Amino acid sequence: MMRKTLIVASSEFGTLVRSRAFMISVLLMPVVMAVSVIVVRATRDSTDTKNRTFAVVDYTGVLGEKLSLLAGELNRRGAAAAAEDGSVVGAKFLPVLVPPAGRDPDQLRIELSDQVRRGELFAFVELPAGLLDPGSGVRIRYYSDHPSYAALPEWVRTSVNALILTERFRTSAVDSALVVRLLRQTPVETLGLFARDAQGGLQAAQQVDQFREVGVPTVLMALMYLTVMASSPQLLNTVIEEKMSRISEILIASVTPFQLMMGKLIGSAGISLVLTVVYIAGGLIVANYWGYADAVRPAILAWFLVYLTMAVFLFGSIFIAIGAACTDLKDSQNMMTPVMLLVMLPVVTSRVVLRAPDGAMATILSMIPTATPFLMLLRISLQPGPPAWEIALSLVLTAVTVTVTVWAAGKIFRTGLLMQGKSATIPEMFRWVRAR
Amino acid sequence: MHAIALRHVTKRFNGTLAVDDLSLTVPTGSIYGFIGPNGSGKTTTLRMIMHILLPDEGEIEVLGSRDTEAARDKVSYLPEERGLYKKMTVRRLLRYYGRLKGERVADLDTRISEWMERMELPGLDHRPIETLSKGMSQKVQFVSAVVSNPALLILDEPFSGLDPVNAHVVKDGVLEMRRRGCTVVFSTHDMLTAEKMCDRVFMIFRGRKVLDGTLHDIQEQYGADTVRLRTAAGVDALRGYDEVESVNDFGQVQEVRLKGDPQAFLVRLAARTAIYHFEVARPSLQDIFVRIAKPREQELAGMELENSAQLIG
Repeated sequence: MMRKTLIVASSEFGTLVRSRAFMISVLLMPVVMAVSVIVVRATRDSTDTKNRTFAVVDYTGVLGEKLSLLAGELNRRGAAAAAEDGSVVGAKFLPVLVPPAGRDPDQLRIELSDQVRRGELFAFVELPAGLLDPGSGVRIRYYSDHPSYAALPEWVRTSVNALILTERFRTSAVDSALVVRLLRQTPVETLGLFARDAQGGLQAAQQVDQFREVGVPTVLMALMYLTVMASSPQLLNTVIEEKMSRISEILIASVTPFQLMMGKLIGSAGISLVLTVVYIAGGLIVANYWGYADAVRPAILAWFLVYLTMAVFLFGSIFIAIGAACTDLKDSQNMMTPVMLLVMLPVVTSRVVLRAPDGAMATILSMIPTATPFLMLLRISLQPGPPAWEIALSLVLTAVTVTVTVWAAGKIFRTGLLMQGKSATIPEMFRWVRAR
Repeated sequence: MHAIALRHVTKRFNGTLAVDDLSLTVPTGSIYGFIGPNGSGKTTTLRMIMHILLPDEGEIEVLGSRDTEAARDKVSYLPEERGLYKKMTVRRLLRYYGRLKGERVADLDTRISEWMERMELPGLDHRPIETLSKGMSQKVQFVSAVVSNPALLILDEPFSGLDPVNAHVVKDGVLEMRRRGCTVVFSTHDMLTAEKMCDRVFMIFRGRKVLDGTLHDIQEQYGADTVRLRTAAGVDALRGYDEVESVNDFGQVQEVRLKGDPQAFLVRLAARTAIYHFEVARPSLQDIFVRIAKPREQELAGMELENSAQLIG
């Protein structure tokens, strides 16, 4: 009985391993590894190196010159830092003062806009006359055709504001140095908990690392999703192929429909497992490279395998049932739509779980059996993790759903396999399930 | 002993009777031909024997076991066409089907090589199925059914679509299986093949058994009322005789069904034209098939006419 199931499983595994989707998934692994290293490196090291020349039209008469001085200082500091650690010199901000000198403001704006369009300037900034008056409500105006470039306007905002404050303190005869000292903000340091080590000594709390706490769980969930989706939907194709080419009749003459279906599910689970091993191994190599090797706890990996198996059986049997009920791929697409909604649910809602892993919404979502494998894994890997009873409940709910789904899919599979010429409707599928 | 025994088997699909109170025994070691028009219940019967479908009523015994599932490994089934994974290579597919019958890979490999040679399929082991011609893949399909050394081989239309050379090869394959003691049941539309190959012939029509026995028995049943003849005047020579019930014209040869005495007919015909060949024969299977299926079809057509007349009226 079991032997034939395993023969089917090994054949399914063999077919899936030879499939293009699997090849691509495996070959993609080193690419993903390389890209993840390169992206992190790129965002860390390579700064913007293009110099930004911008015009400053100063109607206050005070701020423009000081802004130029600040820019000069910034550029000098950048160059010095670059010389010290050997990195690339970052972008320089090069303000050009344009005296308004009684000219028509709109005329000036047009001229400067044209210069930006011609590429002579990157942007231009207007410092209106009322800026120094706290009650005036006027704003700094930044004009550019690069709306997404944030570094320069951000620098202009902080620098001009600092200058405005100093100027206001000066005119109000307040010691600005004192005010700055009194107003100094105190940062919050986010830490984990203290613990005792094996010898009973104190183990100091570690500083919280966003990537370790949020990034690793997210990556794990994405990996689970990828491995399930790389194998389960293939089952639909193979079942339809077997049905259309009457292979199912030969198979059913040798094995029972249930053995056949279980064989397919086990083969598919095997593929998911292989992909998981490949990706986790690759992931650990990358993690090790960045010093995060200990971020993936072995217990999490164990949970990963438990939930992965459940997800493969759940989604696999759904896809098998759809394949058995349809006579061609086109029909199956229609029936896939509601299933794809279920499949997308954990992806769409994972943000909710990330934001508040112990919130009511996260708890409810992670109890929906089709989402449990993904969302519960996410919750377990986010510290401190859900209470044990919630994990237990989610396991029971999912296990029951998996059993019922596999059973119902078996019924649909048994009847649908020999149906030719016409795809079943959903009410028909329910009738097959209820049939003895 | 019987390889297959069906007792009062009935199968309905959504209330439509597909197989109606069918009883049948297939003796071990025989070649048994299933004939019948399309949609008469042949494939349904084969599928029930294969345990792919379950009968609503009645009992099916395969290889001496009422639990047909238990006999599964000793029975091979070849559906009418296709039935092969397109992407798989030939040997991988043959191994898979063989292993599903509980065979060991080592045993299978010897037999695969032997059968591939016998079926004139040299050097195709590692070719994907989709690169094979239709004839080749049909022969591979046949090999897939016999590599497990079945005791009972069920073939649905094994010769349809094969060219004469390949049909010959498959026929030899079937005879080889019989020589090894395997019982072979096959369905066919080709009455000549059934006549020449089968020990016994079974005909199903609208779900009911209408013929069952050796060719001799069946022909005996229909008597010696057929004359096969070739004359100078051809079919025109046969006009205007009261005793001629029907004429089946093959162009050169005519088959005539007579009511009266063939000798008297010969004398009268000889007066009209030169006779090259005159043979009093038993009706061919083809003829019997048509005699059974045709009047009812006419009857059916008549009913349809009546129905549409009622609709119009």
